[in-house]
Amino acid sequence: MKTFEEKWTAWLDGELRGDELAEFEASLPDKAAAEAEKRDAHKLGAFLKEQLQDRAMGNEDFFHHQLRGRIAADARAANAPSASDGAGAKPALWPLGRLVWVGATSLAIFLVCTFFVLREKSPTDQSQYLTHILNARVDPELGPNATISMFESKEDKVTVLWTEGLQSLPSEYATK
Amino acid sequence: MHRRSSLLLSLILALMLGDVASAAAAQMVWSGLVIANNVAQPDEIPPELNRLEGTLKAWFGYNQFKVIGQSRKTLVTGSEDWLAASKYFSLHVDSKGETEAGYLLNLKLFQEKSVLLETEARLGKASPLVIKGPQVGDGQLLLVLVVQ
Repeated sequence: MKTFEEKWTAWLDGELRGDELAEFEASLPDKAAAEAEKRDAHKLGAFLKEQLQDRAMGNEDFFHHQLRGRIAADARAANAPSASDGAGAKPALWPLGRLVWVGATSLAIFLVCTFFVLREKSPTDQSQYLTHILNARVDPELGPNATISMFESKEDKVTVLWTEGLQSLPSEYATK
Repeated sequence: MHRRSSLLLSLILALMLGDVASAAAAQMVWSGLVIANNVAQPDEIPPELNRLEGTLKAWFGYNQFKVIGQSRKTLVTGSEDWLAASKYFSLHVDSKGETEAGYLLNLKLFQEKSVLLETEARLGKASPLVIKGPQVGDGQLLLVLVVQ
């Protein structure tokens, strides 16, 4: 046995037939008002149907890919050993691979900088790092005829101050 | 993770400290009075002259080099003086300062109390200085200065 509300809903939906329809319509106190209400209900239904349609997804594949990725990550996290299983559970901030790359990159930058700095500082003329005699003199009393000359051996990087004509001394002067 | 970071930090610190240490390292100047002569059985060359052995033999023509007086001076400020002496000779070295290329030195060779030779030189840090002194007996007095 249907209640009035059930029959009303069925009537609005046009699902009442035959005797049941006639009996229900006869029971309505104001059929014109009921018909108006039925039309309003149909209008509302049509409007809602139009407005609440499923929207077409513009980037469906991408969304699915993201979703699958997230699901897989969640599954991995769920399968991974818990924190109490050991230190391996904690994700490393700097994985070994990244550390190696950062190290290699830093080293390369350091070498490049060093190269440029050293190139800038390296003398264009290596002779400026050789020893230079700026001046020299021999005591005129001890070596009146002495002469002085200078030699630079760039191969050995040795500078020699060569004196000639100094007074010869006895061998006892060679003692320590 | 922490161990790796510590290792990296230690490496960086070691490099920085090494750089600072090498920059601040004092250098030593070896000054020697050397008698060069020719003998049948020459003694081994003094270790300070090892790298100069070929040059000394080629330039002066002697086969034995004996140190009769020497001094090792560690230069901290670059403005120091020192003396290398034997019984009759002494070499007074007065360092006037340091440049990137070397040390500015005033050298005086004394024969007993007389200044036999005076010279001013800029001693390169990788370039030894050899001074040919007077003939002594059958040999030759050489003055050698090397930054070690």
